[in-house]
Amino acid sequence: MSDVLTIENLSYRRNWKTILTDVSLQLPAGQIIGLLGANGAGKTTLMRLIAGSAVQFKGQIQVGGQTALARRKAGVSYTGQLTDIDPRWKVGQIAELMAQLHPDFRMADFLQLADLLDLQQKQRFNRLSKGNQRKLALAVTMARRAQLYLLDEPFDGIDVMTRKAMLNSIVRWLPDTATMVISDHHVTDIDQLLDAVVVIKNQTIVAHAAADAIREGGQSIESYFEQFYEGGENDD
Amino acid sequence: MEFDAKTPIYYQIEQYINREIIIGHLRPGAQVPAVRQLAITLTVNVNTIQRALANLIGAGILVPERGKGNFVTTDQKVLGKMKQSMIEGEFKALYDHLAALELSPEEMTTAFAQYVQTQQGGERHE
Repeated sequence: MSDVLTIENLSYRRNWKTILTDVSLQLPAGQIIGLLGANGAGKTTLMRLIAGSAVQFKGQIQVGGQTALARRKAGVSYTGQLTDIDPRWKVGQIAELMAQLHPDFRMADFLQLADLLDLQQKQRFNRLSKGNQRKLALAVTMARRAQLYLLDEPFDGIDVMTRKAMLNSIVRWLPDTATMVISDHHVTDIDQLLDAVVVIKNQTIVAHAAADAIREGGQSIESYFEQFYEGGENDD
Repeated sequence: MEFDAKTPIYYQIEQYINREIIIGHLRPGAQVPAVRQLAITLTVNVNTIQRALANLIGAGILVPERGKGNFVTTDQKVLGKMKQSMIEGEFKALYDHLAALELSPEEMTTAFAQYVQTQQGGERHE
């Protein structure tokens, strides 16, 4: 199967500080991948780079074979895209804006997702709880028909029941040929959903393994991930 | 469904479907829900469901029909064998646990026979 995402020798510095060094990664079509790493390891930065929200990097990033920024961006649906909206806007207005910005945005899908996740169309963004803001981010992200979906800590501050509804929306709405990357520092939130895990540590990718291959060795995804951070080392 | 974190998910789904067949939720000849529907019901990804179904098809427990979906086999021999191996799996786990407690084979069979009796007694009193 062809690769949805190809990253070659990616390095990124911001304010004289190195955040990512020599990252290479290939993700095939039709998979759900867990991006694991301690806080500050560079998960969000990597997603911003892939999504085209951060641009001054060395190396190459291809999404669906496209490297040019505008074309690459068109293939990526990213939960971080809500960061620069006007917080006074209503849920429905935000969805309309997304529909204007992205030709692959499907309003009918959004309305179904919003309904499933219990979001009120008339509520203003700044009146939403943190959990509801996360739900909105998920709904607008999944309402697009993209090649690559990037979910950055989608379950942060989310209660158990809501998390189930969100996981359900992901399984229901993810197109067969699309690939999804989910970052989460509570691995157990998402482990049953994953085809593979990618571990970030010391500014680079240190492992990329199939989830069930890890379990075949009698290990949980959580303990597999933790072994990279044993010995009190931390990127914080 | 709650999954064990240390066992491949596809294997746990195979066991789940086997159990559904044994207890009659899925009868011989019945159609198995579509891949996406199973993925949503069990909150796992579509590839994992496909892998589990492929293994069950390989074992002859499910029979694919082109363009229609997957069906539980009507071959009682295959289903009998499947049930037998499910039971053996349970016994194997029990045997390993009791062996780890250093019970002899005789002690195991006596203890188990006694346990079954007390369970039956308990049910009668309910």
